Parts: sequence; structure tokens; C-alpha cells
Amino acid sequence: MAARWSSENVVVEFRDAQATAMSVDCLGSHAVLSGRRFLYMVNLEAPSEPPRKIGRQSKWDVGTVQWNPHKSESHVFAASSNQRVDLYSWREGCGEVHTSLQGHTRVISDLDWSWFEPEFLVTSSVDTYIYIWDTRDTRKPTVALSAVAGASQVKWNRKNQYLLASSHDGDVRIWDKRKPNTAAEYVAAHLSKIHGLDWHPDNEFIFATSSQDNSVRFWDFRQPRKYLNILSCQVPVWKARYTPFSNGLVTVMVPQLRRENSLLLWSTLDLNSPVHAFVGHDDVVLEFRWRPQKEGSKDYQLVTWSRDQTLRIWRVDPQLQKLCVSDVVEDLMERMSLTVESEKSLSSQEPESQHSVGPASDNLQDQDGSLISGGRQDSAVCSGLPQTLQQEFSLVNLQIRNVNVEMDAVNRSCVVSAHFGSHQVHLVVKFPAQYPNNAAPTFQFVSPTTIPSAMKTKIQKILTDTSLQKVKRNQNCLEPCVRQLVSCLESDMTQEDGPASGPFVLSNPVTPALQAFPRVTNTYGSYQDANIPFPRTSGARFCGTGCLVYFTRPITMHRSAPPTEPTPRSLSALSAYHSGVLTPMKMRSESQNTLRLYSGSPTRSDKDTVSISSFYYKERKSRRFKTKREGTDYGNRPIKLAGKVIIQEISCLLPVHKALGESYILNVNDIQETCQKNAAAALAVGRRDVAKVWALASAATNQDLSPDSDPDTETPWARHPFGRHLLETLLDHYSQMSDVQTLAMLCSVFRAQAPPPDSYSLYGHHPSRSSMFPPHHSRYPSYTSSSVTSGSCSSTSDSITTTTWNAGRDSEHANPWGESSPDDYRYGNQGYSDPREREREQHDMNKRLLDPANTLQFDDFKKCYGEILYRWGLREKKADVLKFASCPPEPHKGIEFGVYCCHCRSQARGTQCAVCKRLTFQCAICHVAVRGSSNFCLSCGHGGHTSHMMDWFRRQDECPAGCGCHCLLQSTF
Amino acid sequence: MVSVINTVDTSHEDMIHDAQMDYYGTRLATCSSDRTVKIFDVRNGGQILVADLRGHEGPVWQVAWAHPMFGNILASCSYDRKVIIWKEENGAWDKMYEYTGHESSVNSVCWGPYDFGLILACGSSDGAISLLTFTGDQQWDVKKISNAHTIGCNAVSWAPAVVPGSLIDQPSGQKPNYVKRFVSGGCDNLVKLWKEEDGQWKEDQKLEAHSDWVRDVGWAPSIGLPTSTIASCSQDGRVFIWTCDDPAGNTWTAKLLHKFNDVVWHVSWSITGNILAVSGGDNKVTLWKESMDGQWACISDVSKGQGAVSTITDTQQNEQ
Repeated sequence: MAARWSSENVVVEFRDAQATAMSVDCLGSHAVLSGRRFLYMVNLEAPSEPPRKIGRQSKWDVGTVQWNPHKSESHVFAASSNQRVDLYSWREGCGEVHTSLQGHTRVISDLDWSWFEPEFLVTSSVDTYIYIWDTRDTRKPTVALSAVAGASQVKWNRKNQYLLASSHDGDVRIWDKRKPNTAAEYVAAHLSKIHGLDWHPDNEFIFATSSQDNSVRFWDFRQPRKYLNILSCQVPVWKARYTPFSNGLVTVMVPQLRRENSLLLWSTLDLNSPVHAFVGHDDVVLEFRWRPQKEGSKDYQLVTWSRDQTLRIWRVDPQLQKLCVSDVVEDLMERMSLTVESEKSLSSQEPESQHSVGPASDNLQDQDGSLISGGRQDSAVCSGLPQTLQQEFSLVNLQIRNVNVEMDAVNRSCVVSAHFGSHQVHLVVKFPAQYPNNAAPTFQFVSPTTIPSAMKTKIQKILTDTSLQKVKRNQNCLEPCVRQLVSCLESDMTQEDGPASGPFVLSNPVTPALQAFPRVTNTYGSYQDANIPFPRTSGARFCGTGCLVYFTRPITMHRSAPPTEPTPRSLSALSAYHSGVLTPMKMRSESQNTLRLYSGSPTRSDKDTVSISSFYYKERKSRRFKTKREGTDYGNRPIKLAGKVIIQEISCLLPVHKALGESYILNVNDIQETCQKNAAAALAVGRRDVAKVWALASAATNQDLSPDSDPDTETPWARHPFGRHLLETLLDHYSQMSDVQTLAMLCSVFRAQAPPPDSYSLYGHHPSRSSMFPPHHSRYPSYTSSSVTSGSCSSTSDSITTTTWNAGRDSEHANPWGESSPDDYRYGNQGYSDPREREREQHDMNKRLLDPANTLQFDDFKKCYGEILYRWGLREKKADVLKFASCPPEPHKGIEFGVYCCHCRSQARGTQCAVCKRLTFQCAICHVAVRGSSNFCLSCGHGGHTSHMMDWFRRQDECPAGCGCHCLLQSTF
Repeated sequence: MVSVINTVDTSHEDMIHDAQMDYYGTRLATCSSDRTVKIFDVRNGGQILVADLRGHEGPVWQVAWAHPMFGNILASCSYDRKVIIWKEENGAWDKMYEYTGHESSVNSVCWGPYDFGLILACGSSDGAISLLTFTGDQQWDVKKISNAHTIGCNAVSWAPAVVPGSLIDQPSGQKPNYVKRFVSGGCDNLVKLWKEEDGQWKEDQKLEAHSDWVRDVGWAPSIGLPTSTIASCSQDGRVFIWTCDDPAGNTWTAKLLHKFNDVVWHVSWSITGNILAVSGGDNKVTLWKESMDGQWACISDVSKGQGAVSTITDTQQNEQ
């Protein structure tokens, strides 16, 4: 779990080293640890190998050790020991002192190799002198700077070969080595002693100082009176150094307690809170150095040495580097560009890294060359990646749909062509020679660009802004610009074309999942998430019939925002919390412990990057933990992020009861008994009200009240106030209670008590409705009944298999083979004109206790209750109830006969084939296409005109087609 | 009485975003930021992990069980813009279909009533709502309502198939021709009702009351009454109950259930449609019931993920 929060890669312990200083060579292959008796050479490629040792005899500890930063002299390192500097050379696994520099009269406090001249070394001492040595002539220093006060730090400027800075108690002096007599500038930097001094890697005027007065200050020595910026800490700061990537700063605190975490990474753009804490060392970090990057590597590595006698190597991956870049001011732009793959951020940082480690040169091509030749003035330290346009082009990630970029590095230009819907955009981008060092490319639309000129202007402006913002920091801008262009076009097109013009908006999502994946993970919590709702972390759902399933955040998870502040609405809010913008932290009071979680940079696996959703809550959690169990390493504790899912039985809150569902009966033959038993059942579950209702139902269904079939004898009970009206009131009441169980049961019982005249197994018909059916019906006779009854439906025979009914025919024409639908009879029966019949019908309606007008609603009650019974697993009970529905739940679909055209064999509907436009079937007797009434054998599929068939089968029983089928027997009519 | 019958430790590695039981209440599906969907057999108070479905590449926001008549089918939607439909065949869960037609996070999935066949509505942050209909043979028909909600769609919920009014004038003997309808809520603060007409989805109604993003909508199950009811909840902390007595479904009236202090994320109706479970950013679950006189009252309180639903004695009157 610890690995999740820190980016530590390698830990090697050197128990006996007792080293006081450490340095990493310019190739990144070795680190030297200087102990009193030995110097240990650690192979950084294989750090766990036993280190090589170089013995030394001295009673003094090594004060400072430093490798020569130039490749040509990469085997040389200097180590100060009291008043002397020993120059070691390390070749083929052996090291020895090849020369010593002696001149200081008191202990040497610091030394620094020149960034420009491989032979030059500066040393500072408490003897008040600063000596610049030419190692080719070791007898005496070439330059001696007299400072009057003893110096604690001395550093060469990284951009100007003549400048150097030294710290003297709380002051900083800037020296020009050509004018050794007096310092060029004095800066009264701190009130307490300065422990650390570091020049800005890219700016020759800017440096940072760290001091005993609990602060890091940033200075421009041209304005010595006022610092540029301050980083306030609550403990003395031992060292503060710029990172090789842009805008980063690493500090080491002087811890007040052991085990306190003191190694922090900051963004110089936002000094409110560190962006990362390197957690692992148990004691004071004595020295930290950046390991020069391997060619092609995206990661930087920080090598640290601590008093806990461990050497650790930390990976600082592009994600973490990016955190240093993130700028509150440029929120939108930045986020847009950050959404892209990590390669992008890397490429944009490469020029910086180049500059920071090795001295910069304006001409990039030149720098390229110097790398190979080595040994010349610049970039010897850097194993890194020279930044040329060519390289940007090769690294740029432009897997965007509908966009094509043709890059021409030789002519320093590229053509971006994009197709969106009906629009095309062709854009020529030209890169000036200085690009990307504060020189923006130009953008020009060329034909055949089809977008309106207003939009061109708009896009041009956006692109110019984007590129300027990037090059101002010497960063590449091609990819951000192209992405801007795309998003711009997309949004505009969407507005313009509306929802109909889908295809072009579907950019990435339709690409294969694998490709979309990295993008997704990286965009989490970013700008694009602004319209994605904030994830639910608690919820409740009614499930099944009587369960409530709910989950909540674990109790240990707390919101970092005060409870009065509402939960953010969108996912993008997470990124704000994540990057610390909204939770400014004060050092020591909070951050020491929260940082670990908070700075859990997305370093390790992809998995961690996406789990940010919970960061918002975890933060507080850790603090809570702290109060409870001080000092435990909760980095190792598995943190419970998922709460439990609780299933609760809430059926008692519902108006329906499973027990009742089981015990209720519906006995059509004895309604009285049904009611009484159901009343008892209701009483058993404590539903007194329902028990009373059943008592009422029992009374209402009493035989004495059963209506007379003669309409003239008496008013049916249903018309009595206690009849239908009472029932309706009851139904109303239970409707309000949503007691669908009682509703459905009542409806079923009363329906059973007075079955509709046309037998409830058939469809019930409302009189007003049935009147419209007869004409309607005759045009669409039902196939279903005939096919079901016939049973011989294996209609696979070759020619024509069908039962076709012709439009416009009356049902009288139904022939001996096909059976007319029962509907015919029913409607025939209902289509009466006898007034007595109508009266009887009316009486029928009146005598029913359930208002027939609401039949459909009653059916719905039954259907819904049936559904609930089904969920309870009471399938038979469900069938019991649905039996009383006037609409059977699933009308039987039966079998439908299809017609295959006898000419082209395609499936046809009706008499004409849709494919070949010919009549689909022929009469087996006259061989003429059949248009009118026809009949076919369901077994062999042969048939023809009804009249011909009837004639034929009057005399024969075999098929007229000669297939041998005994059609009359097969089709059992 | 109200009692906890099961407490399932899901062992998800990250926060849970949804949990839902199947039709019979025998299985529980959960989904989480750890990108997985898990299925547990929870019969008889047990909790046996049946399946751990991996396939999403981002946090999974919601799951939905299909009606069992189609088999054991589960749909899940995720931040990774995908909707995955999982099916159990011979005891093994596998992907049945993966829908990638959305351009942003898919926030909600909901299966339509079984009467319509296997049909799934998906609401996405790209503003669109997709309707996936199974047409047999592993084929899915996709209909997309583009720009259903500007900025994004956060929730979808189907109307029950028994929609009063739609049954009137059904030709007898044929399967009732229900109108497919569903409700959606989005970042435009609107609740929208959609209706299928001639195979095309049309916006039927637009309900305005919320002052911030609508986070969830729930169409109450029908018990056969002529009233349609919808609950909606929002970032603004309000929960509204929308009712419509009009058979044509045109006049909806809103009633404020309660104004909470924090965002309300989820509303869920009981099977009889008379109790509403409300949950939100305050980490609490409350149950609300409509009294006989039409007032909504809180009948319970689940808080802090520890307590059980306990019916509170003094039914606190809602603000109306």
C-alpha cells in the first residue's frame, strides 16, 4: 500500500557507510557516497550490488562531494575534506585521488564545478575566501574572491559562465569572476543563516535561497531589495533546489522530529502546498541529486541519501512533473492540454530539462551536435533529449479522428487538415527558427477551407493565444493547438448543424477501446468532466418486493470540505481538490500527514489514477486516523473505500403482504367460503380493515342478493347504495393506500361472483366498443384460430403453403377447410337489433357490482398484483388472479402462414410478390394465378381457387397436384 | 418489522456507486469506481460472490437488471463511455453486447417494461439518450436522441407499461399497444418526458422546477390507477413529486417533497409506488410516504451507513 502513495523505486541500505555526502555523476550511472573511511561507488543501474569502495585516510568527514558535470570529465569528482579538496578519478571500477587542491586555511564549506568549463571548480570556506581553481594547475587558485565573511554556499550561474553566487550568513553575494575584488551585487536575503542556494536553471538572474528562518525565497539579483516570491514553512529549510523539469522545486526541511517527512516537491507557480511528498526516509535527508535522464525516458529520478543510511531512488513520472506545471491562472487552457497523453506533457517539458541540467544554447541544432562531440562548453551533463522540431513532430500524439497532420520538419512547417461534416479546414503552421523558445508559430488557413471567415478569425485567435502561452514557457505547442482547433470546430459545428449531424462529433469514443483507454484515465477529474455529475457515494433502492438495498460511504470516509458546503455537482470538482487548489495547507500543521494521501500521485498503475474519485474523502480520513493512532504507518493499512451494502426487509411498510398472497384463495364455486377464509387470513396478519372488507364482500355476494335474470323483477343489488357504490368507495380507499392486493382480490371476487355473459374466458366487451367491431372485423379475419385447430402446419413443402383470405370477402364464404373465427360468432351474437336483447344487456351491466365501465382498470389491478405475486414466487396464485382478468395477459399468437412466391421463392405477403411483382401462387387445377378466394392443403401446401378445390374434393380425396397427399384426411375438416 | 436481513461486504476496492437486486430479490449487483461489477447471491442471508465482471475501463456508475423472462441479464454503464450488457449463460457471466455510441460518460441505464421486449435506455453526459432494442440474433437496434439534454443527461427511468389512458380504445383481442414512454433528467435542470410515436422518439413534456442539475428521476410503478407519478431530485437539494391525472398525459403538477441541505442523488419507488427512498450527498437515506390526504411525510431515517431504517415516531411534516 505504501507504494501507492509514494513513488519510491529503489531502496538500498548501506549500513556501515556513515556517509555525509553524496553525488551522482553526469551519466547517471554512479553515485558516490562519502564516508569517513571509504568512498562507496553505487552503480545506479544495479544499486543493490555491493558498492565498490575507495579507501581514504583522514580524520575528517567529507564535507561536499561533487562529480564533474561535463561528459568529457565524467570520471572526475571532487570531495572536500577539511581544508583540502581531493580530486578523484574513477575509471573501470577503480578510483584514486589524482590530485589535491590546497589553499584554504579553514574548513571548506562548499564546492561547485563550472557548468561551462570542465576544468573549473569553485570552493568556499569559512576562511572568508572563495577560490576558483583550474584543475590543470593545482598549485594555487586562479581567482581568489575575498568576501570578508565566511561562506556557506557557492554556486556557479547556469547561464552565465562568469557569474557565481555565495552565501554568507543571511546574505548572498553575486560575483563576476572577472572582477574578483568586490562582489557585483549584495542581496540581504534572510535574517538567519542561509543553508542552501540554487540558481534558476533557465534564468541567469534568478536564484532561490533556503534558510534557517523557515523560508525559501526567490530572488532576481537585479532587484536585491525585494524577493520575488517566498515559500513559508514552519521549519528551517535545509536545501531548496530547482528541478530539471519546469517549475518544480525540491526542498529538504530540517526536521524537528525524527521520522518526519522532509522531502517535498513543489510547484514554483503555486507555493501554497507541495505537489508531492517523497515518503520513505526515516531520518534527515542529507543530500538529494537528480539522476540525468536516460535517452527516451519520460521519468526523472531523484536520488536521495539520508541519515537512516539508505539510498533511495524516486521516480518522478510525467504525471507528477505535470503537477508542477499546473497553473491556476491558466486553468482552462492547461487542462485542455493536460487531457492528452502523457507524452505530450513530456515533450513540452523537454526543452526545460535540457536547459536546467546543461547550460542552454540558443541554437538548438548546435546543441544537438555538441552532445555528440561532448566536452565542449555545453550540455555535457545532459544525457537528455535535445529538442528539435523534428522531435516534436515525432513525439506529437495526434490520433484524432478526422484530422490529418502532415509534418515537414525541414521546412519547419506542417499542414493540418480536418474534415468535420461538410466542412473542411486546411491550416498551415509555420515554425520560426527560435521556436519554441518564446517564438510562436504562425497559422494560416489555405484553400479548400470551407468554414466561414468569422470562424476563421475566431480560431486564429484561439490558436495564437494557445501557442503564445506555450512558447512563453518554451514549450511545444503543436499538439495543444491542434486539439484546440478540433474542440473549437466540434463545438461550432454542433451548434450549427444541430443534433442531426452526428458522425463527426463521434470522435474518439468509436475508436477501439484500447485506444480510448489511456485518454480516459488521464482525463479523469479534468476539464472534460465538467459536465459529468459527481459520483454518487450513497444510494438506496427498493428491490424485489419488500427489500430496500442501500449503501453509504464508510463511516471512516469524511468530506474534506466543511459539511456546510454542498457536495460538488460535477466530477471536475475533484481535480480541484486533487491538485490542492481548494485546500491550501499550511506546512507542518496538517500537511505532514495528509500529504501522503493527498500527494498520492498517479504514479504507479493506471488503476490508481482513476480512483481519484475517493480522494476527496480520504483526505480527512487520514487525519482522523492520526488523532487515534499516532505514529503508526497507515500507509500500509488497507483503506476501506467501499462501504457495505445493506439489504433491509421493509415489507411491513408496504400495503401488500406476502403472507396474504399465500393464504388468499379464489374459489369460483364458493365465493362465500372464499370471502370468509380470506377474512380470517387478513385477521391473521393484523389487517383488521381488510378482514372487515372481506366480511362485507361475503355479505354482498350472498345468494339472497344475487340478481334475477329477468330485468323486470326487481332492482338488482348493485344499484343499491350498499351495492356498487359501497364497493367503489372501498376501492377508492384502497387505491389511496396503494393496496393493490386488496384491490385486485376484491375485483377478482366480484367478477367471479357475476361473470360476464359471454364467459370470462373470452374477451369482455364494452358495449360501446363492440359496436364498432363488426365491419372492422370482417376485413381482418383472424388467422389464429384456424391455424391452431388445424394442427397440420408443417408448411415446408415446396410450392405454396398458405391459408390466404381475400380482402373484401364475407365470412359466409368460409369454406370447409378453414374454420371461421369464433369472433365471428361472438360479434354475430352481439350485433343484434332486438331491443329486448339490448335491454338484457343493459340489465346485465346493471346487476354487476363492479362497474363494467372500469373493467380495464380492474384488470390493471389484477395485472399489477399478478406481477407482485410472481415476484413472490407464487405463480399459481398469479394464475388464479389473472384468470379473472378480462384481458388475458398474453393473447396466444398462434401460427401464421407465410407465402413463398412460386416464381422467385421469396417470402411474400398477399397475392402479389413484392420482389418479382408477379402473382404469388397458382391454382393446382387451372394453373392460373389466384387472386380471389383460395384454399390450400395445410399438409402438402397445394391448393387453388376455392370453387375448383370444392369441385375436386367432392369427387377425390387426393391432392390435385398429384403429390399423393390425402388432403382431406390430412386437413381434418 | 423493519430489519436488516443482510449486510454484504462487497470487497470493492473503491467506492460503490450503485447496488441493485434482481427481480426476485435473490441476487445483488454492485458497481464501483474500481471498474468492476460484482454479483452476489444473497439468498437466505448469504453473500456468495457469483461473478466479478471486468470490462469497464473507468468507474461504473450504475447497473440495471433486465426482467427475468429474458434470462439473467444485467446492464452497466461507466465513465469509460460504454454500456455493457452482461448475460449469464450456463452459470457463466459474459458480455452480451457492448455499446460504445456515447461520447462521454454514460450516467444512467434503465430497462424498459418487459412488455416492450428487451429495451434499454442510456443517458450520457454527451447530452444524448440511446435506446437499445434487442432484435434477436445478438442484434441490437440503436436509436439515439441527440441533444436530449444540453450539457448532459444524468438519469433515465421508464414509465410502467400499464399507462392509464393508453388502454382505452385498444382493439380487442390484440396485444394492447402500449405507448413507450420514459422520463429523463439532465444538466439543463429539466425533467423531460419522451414518447415513441411511429418508431420515433419525441419529446412529450418538459417539466421545469429545479434550479440546478437534475440528478435522478423515477417513474413510480403503477398499480393500475389512472395517475402517473414521477419523482425527481436535484443538485439543488429539492425532491419534487410530479403527478398527472390527465389520460393524455399533458398536465403535470409538481409538489415539493422536501428541500434537503445537500445534493439529492437518488430516488427510488417501492413496488406499490407509495413509498419513496431518497438518498444524497449527506450520506443519509430517508423514506417518504404519502398520507391519505396527499401529504408527504418522512417515515424513516437511515444515517451514517450504520443504523437500520427505523421508523421515527414524530412523523416530521414536510414543508409544503
